Amino acid sequence: MPHYALTIIGRDRPGIVTEVTEILFKLGCNIADSSSTLLGGQYAMIQIISHPSIDSTEELAAAFAPLEASGLSAFVRRIEPEKLQKQSIGGEIYMISVYGSDKPGIVYRVAKELSERQVNITDLNTKLVGSEARPVYVMMLEAVLPESIDEAELTRVLMALQGELQVDITIRSITPVEL
Amino acid sequence: MAICEILIYPDERLKTVCAPVATLDATVDALIQNLVDTMLASGHSVGVAAPQIGDLRRVAVVDVSRSKLGRDNHHGLLTMINPEIISRSGQKVMREGCMSVPDYTGNVTRSEEIVVEFRDRDGSERVIHATGFEAVAIQHELDHLDGFLFLDRVSSLKTDVFRRKG
Repeated sequence: MPHYALTIIGRDRPGIVTEVTEILFKLGCNIADSSSTLLGGQYAMIQIISHPSIDSTEELAAAFAPLEASGLSAFVRRIEPEKLQKQSIGGEIYMISVYGSDKPGIVYRVAKELSERQVNITDLNTKLVGSEARPVYVMMLEAVLPESIDEAELTRVLMALQGELQVDITIRSITPVEL
Repeated sequence: MAICEILIYPDERLKTVCAPVATLDATVDALIQNLVDTMLASGHSVGVAAPQIGDLRRVAVVDVSRSKLGRDNHHGLLTMINPEIISRSGQKVMREGCMSVPDYTGNVTRSEEIVVEFRDRDGSERVIHATGFEAVAIQHELDHLDGFLFLDRVSSLKTDVFRRKG
């Protein structure tokens, strides 16, 4: 069955989910996986959808084109079947919190240290909080450690970064216990 | 004996209150062996309860000795027939995963220390004091005997239940 990634974004207001899912329902699409949230006043939806017969990105995208008139941008991307298989994400899972006074490069520097060690980020949220005069940047991410790096090494790496960036970083295991 | 298929929710047998074992016969021993074989075969599991393999009797096995969290504090392989928690204290929150609810994990608050009474595989009466991860694992498996899943124990869907990523 052809699968597609559908991204919708637009200024938030009541009714966006209804408008989008009405199109999906009438087309006969199935929502396999989705996440939607409000970011800076924009409502952003990301969905993995499938359809038993529509086998053309253009045909599917055309169905969402009318959303433009109500201020929503839609983007459709086909997912090749061989890339659809869920990869099993093995390894210890950690929650990493980073916060401190806002400055350029916090996300990039943390992500770079992680990717250089093949640590896979599986969830990431950032927010600017605090006052206008003293903005505070908060980032929370979930990451899966490969076997080549353990908690002690991850802590060492991030503590070095903590000193360099002058932010606070905490790490805690959130690996579920398998019962 | 046999590695059994683990039932997955919404199989209604997982939501059934199991019946006490009346007499220790060969079928109970066979059930225990199947539970142990199934637990060992899954690799990462530290316990299996009878309803998870479709047998609605009050029998469960737990062994946390092979896991990182339990290896320093355990009673080895526990084969429990008609187990009852007769005393509990303290609180401990762990993010639990269950083979019968494969797509989700959840933060569950359980007793930190428990005293469990049960009949062992050889028929002897045992009472053990379990703490930490072993206590959590026992409570999780014994919940299965009453038709409870960890989803029945979380306090909030929004903050305590997590979808496994993949």
